[in-house]
Order: sequence, then C-alpha cells, then structure tokens
Amino acid sequence: MGGSIACIDEIDFALIGHQESWRAAADVLAVLRGPGHTPLPEEEIRDMLPWIPPRAVCHVEITSTCGMRARGVYIDSFIPPDRLGDVSMHDNLARVRGAAACAIKAGAKIVSLGGFSSILIEGNVDQLPQKHGTVFTTGNTLTVSFIVRAIRQLCLQEGRDLRRSTLLIVGATGDVGSGCARCLSPGVKRVLLCARNLERLRRLAAELAATGVDVEIATDPRQFSAHADVVICAASLASPSLLLGSTAPDAIICDAGYPKNLSPSAAMPDAQVFFGGLGQVTGTLHFIPDLHGILNRHPFPDVVHGCLLEGMALALEGRFEPFSRGRGLITPERVEEIERIAARHGIHLAPLYNAKGPLETSLDCRAEVFA
Amino acid sequence: MQTVIDLKCSLPANPISLSPTALIWQDVLAQAITGELLAAMNYTSLSEICDDPEEVADALEHAAGEKGHAAAFANEGRKIGVDASNNVHAKHWKRLREAFLRCITERDFIGCLIVQEIMLESFAVASYARVGKVAPGTLGKTFAAIAAEEEDHIGHAMEILRKERARDEQSFDARLYRLHLEVMTTLAEMLARDCRTGHCEVCHGSCVKPALPDVSLSAAELRGASLHQYLKTLDKLGLPGEVTLTWVAQLPV
Repeated sequence: MGGSIACIDEIDFALIGHQESWRAAADVLAVLRGPGHTPLPEEEIRDMLPWIPPRAVCHVEITSTCGMRARGVYIDSFIPPDRLGDVSMHDNLARVRGAAACAIKAGAKIVSLGGFSSILIEGNVDQLPQKHGTVFTTGNTLTVSFIVRAIRQLCLQEGRDLRRSTLLIVGATGDVGSGCARCLSPGVKRVLLCARNLERLRRLAAELAATGVDVEIATDPRQFSAHADVVICAASLASPSLLLGSTAPDAIICDAGYPKNLSPSAAMPDAQVFFGGLGQVTGTLHFIPDLHGILNRHPFPDVVHGCLLEGMALALEGRFEPFSRGRGLITPERVEEIERIAARHGIHLAPLYNAKGPLETSLDCRAEVFA
Repeated sequence: MQTVIDLKCSLPANPISLSPTALIWQDVLAQAITGELLAAMNYTSLSEICDDPEEVADALEHAAGEKGHAAAFANEGRKIGVDASNNVHAKHWKRLREAFLRCITERDFIGCLIVQEIMLESFAVASYARVGKVAPGTLGKTFAAIAAEEEDHIGHAMEILRKERARDEQSFDARLYRLHLEVMTTLAEMLARDCRTGHCEVCHGSCVKPALPDVSLSAAELRGASLHQYLKTLDKLGLPGEVTLTWVAQLPV
C-alpha cells in the first residue's frame, strides 16, 4: 500500500510540533509525496496545509548511550507558519488539543509540546484532553538547561567572567525566560528583565530581588539593551521580528525562540549570536519515514529542540511524569535534575551555531563530562 | 452545456433580471446537480447488487433522496433566473461513475460504500457547507441543509464500514487505498486550482474557478475543505493518520 510506514504497536512518547516556515513545511510534504512525485509548489502548500488536521507524520526511535530504547511518534499540529499570531490563538489551541488527542489515541505515555505548542499551553494546561496513562510536559526545563549551559560555557571559553556581566532576558516572564532568570541571576552582576506584561515582570523582579539580585524591568528591550553583555531572547513571537537596538560590545546573544526571535535586519556586527535551547542525541535517532534534517533542520546531526528532547529523555528513563507543567515552575534544582537524566542517556548540549553556520568557538559538548 | 437529465426546471415565462453573480451560481449549481444525479445513479446501481430487501429499499430511498437534492438545486437556479443544466457524462464525473460501476461489477458492496459515502460524500458535504455559508438567501440555506443531510448518510455508512474494517484491517485499508487512487485522484483534478486538462464539460462557458472569489469562494478553499473532511472521515474509520496524510500529500494538484 503506497505510503504505508512501519507499524509500531506500542509507543512510549509523542512529540507535538509544527513547522516554523513554509520552506520547512514544503520539505516535509516533499518527503511524504515521495521521489516519484514532483514537489508541491509553495502556493499549493499554502493552500493545502491549513486544512490538514493534526496527525502523526512519522515514527521516532531513540536509543540512549546506555542501551535504553524508546519509541514514539512525531505529531504535527499543522499550525500554518504565518498564523502564529494572537489573532489565530483560538484556532491554534484547537490544533494543539487535536494533536494531543492524536497522542492519546496513539497510546503515548508522555507527550512533549514543541515550539508554539508549549507556549499556547503554558497558561492553558487544563484545556488539554485528559486520559489516564498519558502525561504532558512542555519540555521547557530541558530547554532552559541547554540555554543556561551554553551561556556558561561560551563565557568560559571566551574567558569572560559571568559574575561581572549584565544579563538581559527578553520574554522574561514566560516559562523559559523565567526559568533562565532563576538559574542565571545568582551568578551575574545585574539582571534586566523585559516582557510585555508589566504585572508579571514586577512579580518576577520581586522574587529575584528577594534573593539579593540587582534587577530592573522594562517592556521595551531597547530601553536598556545597550547595558547588556549577555542577552537571552525567549519571547513568544509569531515571526523573527525582535530588534534589540544596540548591545554592549562583544555581547553574547542567545536566540531561543521558535520561530526565532531576532529580526534578520537586526544589525549586531560585534555580537556573538547563537541559537539556543538545542540538544544533541549521541545515541541513535531514527525517523520513519526518514525526515532526518527536515524535522530537525540544524547543521549538526541529531540535534533537536530541548522541549522535544525532554519527553524522549524521560521516556528513556521510564519516568512518565509531567516534568514541566507550565509557566513559572522551573527552578535550578529541576533544571539540574533533567540535565542529569538527559546526560545519562547521552543527550547533551548541541554544538552552537547561528544563521551563518557553526560558531568558531563551537563547543564540543561530547567531550564535556557532566558536573 | 446540454442538459443530460431533465429536471423539469425550465425558466419562468417572464425572465427575471440576472444578478451579477447569477452565472457563477449557475455553474456551481450545475456541478452540484451533476454530483447529486450521479449519486442517485450510483444508489440505483447499488440496489441491484443488494441481497437483503431492506438494503435494496435503503439504496432506492437514498437514490430518491439524491434526485430530490438535484431537483432542489435546479429549483434554486430557477429562482435566480438561470438554467443549471447537468452532465453526468462530463469527463471527470464519468470517471467517477466508472469507478463505482467497477465495484458493482465485482459485487463489492463495501467498495461501493467507500466510493460513494467516504469519498464522494466527503467532497459534497465539505463543498456544500462552504457554499452554504456564502450563498445568498434560500440558495445558501438549500446548500447548507443538503450538506447536513449528506452528513447523516455518512454516519450510517460509517457503522457498516467500521465493522468491516474490524474484521480485517489490512485488506480493508488496501482496498480503500486502491479506490483512493482512482476516485480521489479524479476529485483532486476536479478541484485543482486550474482545469489543466481542458474544459470540465459541466460549466456553461469558460471555467468558473477564476470567478469564484466574486462570491467569496475559491477552488483552493473547496479543495482544502474536501480533503479535510476526507481525512477526518478516514480518522473516524480508524486508519492511521500518518498513512492517510501520505495518500493525500501524493494527490495531484
């Protein structure tokens, strides 16, 4: 039967995602069409994709470096790449709920919510369908881990003293932003928090200030980006549209958004920009059909977003629990815990890269021994 | 385009003045009437291979219902001053009829249900519902009401098909795929952005598709809604979503 794929009776995990660009969506559909069919023109994909109900796209199999194996499915919510804005929130939530229902139907024991799926669900966990035997994790704790680890290691590699740095977090009140703030604040000189919701900003600032952190808040990052030499962009933006303005010379900037936060027109010639929140599987990772490099479009093999890797790591560990439950619950202790679990199964920080390619000072995470 | 089956819908003696969109609705109605008449012919054929008298009665009742839908559409055409003719021998519809008749020849009752209820009705329900939302007055109401009735038909057939699939999933899915290649490929060509293989032989003048935006419709929307309905129907039957996604992704555009 044309197009049929390997039938796997029992699955451990499901990954819910969506494509961040029409190009990425076109590549996925080209694989599904197969080599015997000409790829669909982009205008046809723009017509067709919004009508596809959420569904499994491929099977995923991961083996850890300690010999454990977990099987799952990648479920695409088919949120159109140009409809990530607030105006499509209702429709997108329905798509994520539909994808969650697919995961439950497939028998997944743990479901990771990738990209905008987790952002949509952060404040709406109760809107997910419920079934005994299936748990959901936003995957944000492992994402935070990879961001924090990358910044620490890049500073170390460049001989910078993070304790003398001013840290700016854009999207600070989100799950990932606030988690990064809690992990990094105790180790920097000053923290600048930026988000749209002033009330949430005040609450987070008060929480950090209570532990002795020198913290300031603003709703516009350009208000104090010139003071920052370490920047984390973790805002939930529908498209790469963030303009930071000027930053400190040689600033380190982590773009952890999906879709990316930073506008391509943002000129930051002296800054060291990298894409954050990514991990690498050092065991094996298989997609059936083979969507390697298409579902995970990175210049290094077996690199996947932390939010999706969290579900896979927990499945390998046999811990089917809602590890990341939603906004504001990520603590340094939880980050260390998921980092240990991931490392035990050979899931580490991915080598760093940006739009131009790998960073010259790219980290060799495989050589690193988890401390 | 010449009317093939007479639905006694001749225009009033004193023609009313046509609205600017009447000729677009004329072609939309012509396609709908043709589809309904084809469905009526299919159900009549189906009655001929049913052994159970109750099934025969059901099939004939469905056939009468589809004829009634065609008459209702023709009547709506008359109300706006157009003669919405039909052509069940038009090239795409002819191929759809032939696919159904092959199932009849093989006395494949399940195959007949798959073609008519899963494929053709998915297309009808989705496209009528979209037309029902934008068409004015009773024209819109008629499309919406018939869409709802057709959806009820699908519900009835689904019970039979689910039971059949439960007996042997593999052979059921293989049979469905074979029919998908034949029928859905034709429907996809009908709903393609442009009629690349020439005139469809149902539209009265040139192809209606480029004019559909004038009545807040588009070929892309009708195609998308139809494929959505088809995928959801296959989901309800229990076919794996990743498999049916591949099927749909491979259809011509």
